[in-house]
Amino acid sequence: MSANLKRSLFIASFILPTFIVYCIFTVYPILRGIYISFTDWSGGSETMNFIGLDNYRELIHDPIIYKAAYNDYFIVFWKVIGIMLIATYFAVALTRLKIKGSAFYRIVFFFPNVISVVVIGVIWRFVYNPKLGILNSLLSFITGKPVETPWLGDSDYALWALLPPAIWAGIGFFMILLIAGIMSIPAPLYESAEIDGASQWKQFFHVTLPLLWEQLKVSVVLIVLTSLNGSFIIVSIMTYGGPDNATQVLGYRLFEKAFGTYQMGYASAVGVLILVLSLLTTVVMRWLMRRESVEVS
Amino acid sequence: MKRNGGHPLARALSVTFLVFWAFMVVYPMVWTLFGSLKDNQQFFMGKPWNLPKLPLLWSNFSYTWDKYHFGAYFLNSVIVTLGSMALALILAASSAYVLARYSFKGSGVVYYFYIASLMIPGILALIPTFFLLFKLHLNNTFIGLITVYAIGAVPFGIFMLIGFFKALPRELEEAAVIDGASHFGTFFKIMLPLAKPGLLTFSIINLLGMWNEYAFALVLVNDPAKYTLPVGIAVMQAEMQYRTEWGALFAGLLMSIVPVLILYILFQNRITEGVTAGAVKA
Repeated sequence: MSANLKRSLFIASFILPTFIVYCIFTVYPILRGIYISFTDWSGGSETMNFIGLDNYRELIHDPIIYKAAYNDYFIVFWKVIGIMLIATYFAVALTRLKIKGSAFYRIVFFFPNVISVVVIGVIWRFVYNPKLGILNSLLSFITGKPVETPWLGDSDYALWALLPPAIWAGIGFFMILLIAGIMSIPAPLYESAEIDGASQWKQFFHVTLPLLWEQLKVSVVLIVLTSLNGSFIIVSIMTYGGPDNATQVLGYRLFEKAFGTYQMGYASAVGVLILVLSLLTTVVMRWLMRRESVEVS
Repeated sequence: MKRNGGHPLARALSVTFLVFWAFMVVYPMVWTLFGSLKDNQQFFMGKPWNLPKLPLLWSNFSYTWDKYHFGAYFLNSVIVTLGSMALALILAASSAYVLARYSFKGSGVVYYFYIASLMIPGILALIPTFFLLFKLHLNNTFIGLITVYAIGAVPFGIFMLIGFFKALPRELEEAAVIDGASHFGTFFKIMLPLAKPGLLTFSIINLLGMWNEYAFALVLVNDPAKYTLPVGIAVMQAEMQYRTEWGALFAGLLMSIVPVLILYILFQNRITEGVTAGAVKA
């Protein structure tokens, strides 16, 4: 066997198995999902008629879809605000302020990120439990009269109640990411700022913020993507989209339509909508946060 | 003062807020532990922050383990997690190595083909994957779930491991060729051991993600005997509407939390490294 043939065989044997599995289990399902969205398939094998854009027509006339999309963006908006503010603050405090025990905080703050969203949902559901939960017990204790607000059962509060667990669970990851960004900023930049007498505030706005911009942008995009595609998990544990669709999100709607009422075509159209919204939102966020990249000489 | 970092008041405020957040993170877990040692009466009569009464109700754990089948779920989760971690490692490391160290026609296309899917969310694939496994008679099997998990981890793995393989010095390869080592020999005897830190980081990140995964596990496995822990927990919580056994439920939560928490504490440097590497992908 020639050396060239041996080399080619080696490359093929290392590339092809992964590539084939990838095509079957990743590429095919995505393309297939797009195709199903143009059919009236119920999941049974007998009927699968091509119906063009009918599912999408139904989609734009479905008030629950608008409600779900609104809720998705409501969650995205507050997650971006909450997580970015707190994570950036912690990242700066643990690096620039040289606080004692910073290694301890770094390790502990990441705890929620290693726990399953299912577990987080169950714990927080109990926090909100009207009679036994820690929140109402605390409120009763402070106000001196019994508080039994059903936080997750009241359509005025339910969506807001999903935010604390979502933000609580996200902070550690993005703090670690931003800490790595701050650590990679060259120390002389801070030193010369200090010689010039710049306060920590000034250093933050003139050194940290511009040089951390790339990581901040990545963080925002990641929050948007993971939230639009993952928020249905916490919904499916804590509220099942209720009460009265008050916490309905697109991902959970897909789930209901697919495995509740077996409308695979319609559910796939919701999936395509999520995909398109994710890509669009990512592009818009990148554009909004565009900035001349800062060169460090 | 400046050298020390910031105004004393700002520092004091920061420390207060850090301590507060540490409490916010740790307390729910401590509270879950306390809850897992209480009986129903303590839940209904006492305050939620009360300590569990003595004797501690450790029997909640064996009760959940047996009566709620968490023993089986735990074992299922171990099998699925280790299996998909190993498969992801094989699939990603082989391709990443060739893409990093060999130039061949189409290598760029293949690379971007993988990277592109990092931008495409998995939820659209949920329905077709369910029917694909059904057709392949892999629904309700560990092999099916393992394959889906493993291939889901591959794009990120290729992205991350290419970096590790590229950083290895070229001279090693050349020396191996002079010594008459084959392509396979060079990979297994020289490159793989040198890339160990990268492979370890990739595997630890996968262990956490696969242990905790819920959506695909819920859809692809409908046989209660094959549920993984997150699905088992969701099912158990749903049952709590009809009968309340809070202590047992919290014991179940801990069975999911404790293994990953130990893993995290042991390997937290690796995980931090993985997070940082992953950040560049988006």
